[in-house]
Amino acid sequence: MSADELAELVGHRFPGGTRVIEHWENFLLTDCTGRDQLPDHLVHPVALFHVPIQGVGTTIGELFALGKVEGAGSVGLDGYDWEYFQPLREDVEYRFDGGVVETERCTTGSGKTFDRFVFSVELSTPDGEIAARITNHWRLRR
Amino acid sequence: MTVEVGVEIPEWTMADVDPQRMKTMAAILRDPYPVHWDRQSVAALGRGERVINQGPLNLSYIANMLMAWQGATCIRRLQVSFGDPVLDHEHVTAAGTVTSIETVGAEQRAHCEVRLMRDGQPVVTGTAVVALSTTTTEVS
Repeated sequence: MSADELAELVGHRFPGGTRVIEHWENFLLTDCTGRDQLPDHLVHPVALFHVPIQGVGTTIGELFALGKVEGAGSVGLDGYDWEYFQPLREDVEYRFDGGVVETERCTTGSGKTFDRFVFSVELSTPDGEIAARITNHWRLRR
Repeated sequence: MTVEVGVEIPEWTMADVDPQRMKTMAAILRDPYPVHWDRQSVAALGRGERVINQGPLNLSYIANMLMAWQGATCIRRLQVSFGDPVLDHEHVTAAGTVTSIETVGAEQRAHCEVRLMRDGQPVVTGTAVVALSTTTTEVS
């Protein structure tokens, strides 16, 4: 991917859409974290990784393809910024909107090239209230 | 319980990072990245034949610590950076420290430094904003 192609990714919008977090999914997700199930149909906070990606109408694989990376070692996590404006619950049909907000070509001290790839997604309730916002920072190794 | 600046959050430990949970997590995430379920793909990177725990799972241990401390709906914000990968069967511990307390509307919130530790070294570091439960006495 050229530097120009990388720069052109900024502003790319994901399709957007709606998604429900089902009980079975939340149960298994919570179990993977090693804690007891949460009460009152609350969704485990770590759902803010995959639910926004899927809800906004893309996949991890499609994000890799968008950044033109593939294979083991090609992607690293730089960081997350996740904001919770209200608790997420099972069986609520959330609305998802988002896109690529930042890219940057970088060089390591040893001369290797990588790209910063940052995308953001907002979750809204059926009433239109914002429920959460995620901004994920990935490292795409070239 | 009194929450004030400098308070250490009770630690939360994952004693044995389970590769089977990584497989379940990969399916839930629809994550095609093989380092989470194919040992050979990790070996090719020179890290031995051990699969790499998903970043969200590493973060979940910090979330679990915060929820065990202040309740299931306490988390308002998580900002974290990831360091070295966590491998299967490693022992990691989530820890944190209150750095400031603020009032937002009717809510008392603690700003915390949080980390996930392995062998005394951080593998995830960052900050969290946590709503303090009404049964907690806050001191600013």
